[in-house]
Amino acid sequence: MPKPSPDLTDLICDIALYNSENAYEKLFKYLFPALYRFCYCLLKSREQAEEIANDVMITLWKNRLKLPEIQNIKVYSFVIARNLCLNAINKTSRKELVFLEDVDVQLVLDTLNPEQLLINDELKKKLEQATHALPSRCKLVFKLIKEDGLSYKETATILNISTKTVDAHLVTAVKKLTAVLKAEFNLM
Amino acid sequence: MERSRVIELLARKMAGEATQRELEELNELIARYPDSVYYEEILKQLWPNAEEINTDYPDIDRIYECHKLKYHNELTDRVMEIPARNGYSYKTISCIALTVCFLFFMGLFYLHSIDKNALDTQLIAGKGMRKNIRLPDGTMVWLNADSKLSYNSDIAHKEVRIVHLIGEAFFDVAHHQSQPFIVNTDKISVRVLGTAFNIKAYPVDKKSVATLLRGSIELSVNEQPQQKIILNPSEKFELSEGENGMLKTNVTLMIDHVTPVRIGGNEYIEEVSWKSNTLVFHNESFEDLKPRLERWFNVKIDFHSAQSKSYRFTGVFKNENIKEALTAMQLIKPFTFNLKAHDVIIY
Repeated sequence: MPKPSPDLTDLICDIALYNSENAYEKLFKYLFPALYRFCYCLLKSREQAEEIANDVMITLWKNRLKLPEIQNIKVYSFVIARNLCLNAINKTSRKELVFLEDVDVQLVLDTLNPEQLLINDELKKKLEQATHALPSRCKLVFKLIKEDGLSYKETATILNISTKTVDAHLVTAVKKLTAVLKAEFNLM
Repeated sequence: MERSRVIELLARKMAGEATQRELEELNELIARYPDSVYYEEILKQLWPNAEEINTDYPDIDRIYECHKLKYHNELTDRVMEIPARNGYSYKTISCIALTVCFLFFMGLFYLHSIDKNALDTQLIAGKGMRKNIRLPDGTMVWLNADSKLSYNSDIAHKEVRIVHLIGEAFFDVAHHQSQPFIVNTDKISVRVLGTAFNIKAYPVDKKSVATLLRGSIELSVNEQPQQKIILNPSEKFELSEGENGMLKTNVTLMIDHVTPVRIGGNEYIEEVSWKSNTLVFHNESFEDLKPRLERWFNVKIDFHSAQSKSYRFTGVFKNENIKEALTAMQLIKPFTFNLKAHDVIIY
C-alpha cells in the first residue's frame, strides 16, 4: 500500500535551512514524475507538461523558506500544478475553464502489466477505452489514487471535492472496468 | 446495491484508506456475497505496486540536469531574504550578516557596473596573423586571423565573465565554479564553466560554428535565448543562414560529430588545427577555401575562371607562404595564378 514518504520532511528542512541542492535534487526526482504525469493528463502535451512540472519545482525552491510551514508538500505542489495547468488551458481556449471537470483529461494506462492479468493486447485496449470513457474528474481521481498513491484527503484537496465524492468516483471507475472484464471472461 | 458498498470498501482497502471497522464490514459483506471475491482479485491486478511507479522514469537524471541549467540563476542564489522568525542560530545570524554584506557589495557592484561593464580591452589579430594570450582570469585564448576579442580588464572579478568575439578563437577556459564564462558573437552565445572549445563566427561567412573538445558548453542562439543547446565533447554546432540573410527564416542548426581527418598519414582535427599554425582542409572547393586562404595568408583572391572555383582540394599547410601553397595546389588541379603583392588572380 502506498505510504507517504517519511524522508520528505528531512529533505524540506535541508532545502529550507541549508539551501541544500542535493536535497532539492532528491525532492525533484521524487515529485517530478508524478507532477509531469498529472500535467500531461490535463494538457495532453509532453513539452507543456514538462515545462509546467519544471515551473512547479522551481516555485518550491523559490519559496523554500516557507516550505516547512506547509503540511503536505505533495498536495501543495499538485495544487500549484493544477492552477498553472488551468491558466495554460485558459490562455488557449475560448471559453473560461474554471473547473477541472470541464477539462478533457487524458489518461495513460501504462501501469497495467499484461503479465499480471494474463490479458492480451485487445483486452488491454478495451480497458484503456473504458478508462478513457470515464468522466474527467473520475479519471483524475482514479489516477491520483491508484498511480500517484495520494490519499483520499489529498486527492480531495487537489481537485476541490469531498472525500465522499472521491469514494463515489472510485466506485464508478472500478465498476466500469470490471464490467469490461466481466464481459470478456463471462464472470458472475 | 450492496455491490457498490463492496467496491467502495475494496477500493479503500487497496488505497490503504480503510479503517478497522470498514475492513470488518468488508469481510462480512464478502461472506454474504461470496462472488464478490472476484472483485477483490481484479482490483489486486488493477492496482499497481507503489514502488513500481517511480522507477520507470529513466530520463529523470537528464531532466534534472536541464532543470539545473534552465534555472541556474535561482539555484545558485544562496542569499536568504528574511531570517526565520524564531531562529537565532548561528546560521541565521551569519546569513543575515552575509545578506547585509551582499547587498552592500551588490550596491557597489551596481555603481561599478554602470560605467565599468564596458568591454574595454581588445585583442585584435589582423589578416595573416594568429595571436595567443592569457586573460586575467587564467583563460587561454588563441585568436585566428582577422578576428577581434573584446573583454573587460576586470574579468577575473566579474560575477559573469563575458567576452565578445568577431571572427574565430579557441578558448581553454579557466575553471571557476561560480563564474560562468560567456562568449558572445553576433548570432550565437556560448556559456561554459571550464572547458576547451572553438568558435568560428566571421561576419562575412554565412555560418557560425562552435566545436567542443573538452568539458561541456551551453549554447544559445541570440534571437531565441530561451532555447539552450548543450554540446558534448567532440560535437560541433553549426548555424547557417539562408540566402536572404534574415535569421528568422531559413536557418539551419546542426549538431555534428567532430571526426579527425587523415591526410598524408597524420590525423588532424580540421576545426581547431589552426591553433597549431596548421591550415587543414579536406575535400573543399576552391570557392569555399577562398575566405580561409585570404585570412590565413592576408591576400585578396579573385577568380577569373568559373571552372577553377569548383576544384576540390585536400591538404595541410604549415609553414608555406601563399606562393608555395598555390604552387602545391597546382600539382593537384590545373590552374594558373598571378601573384602581385597581396592580390591573387586565379585563371
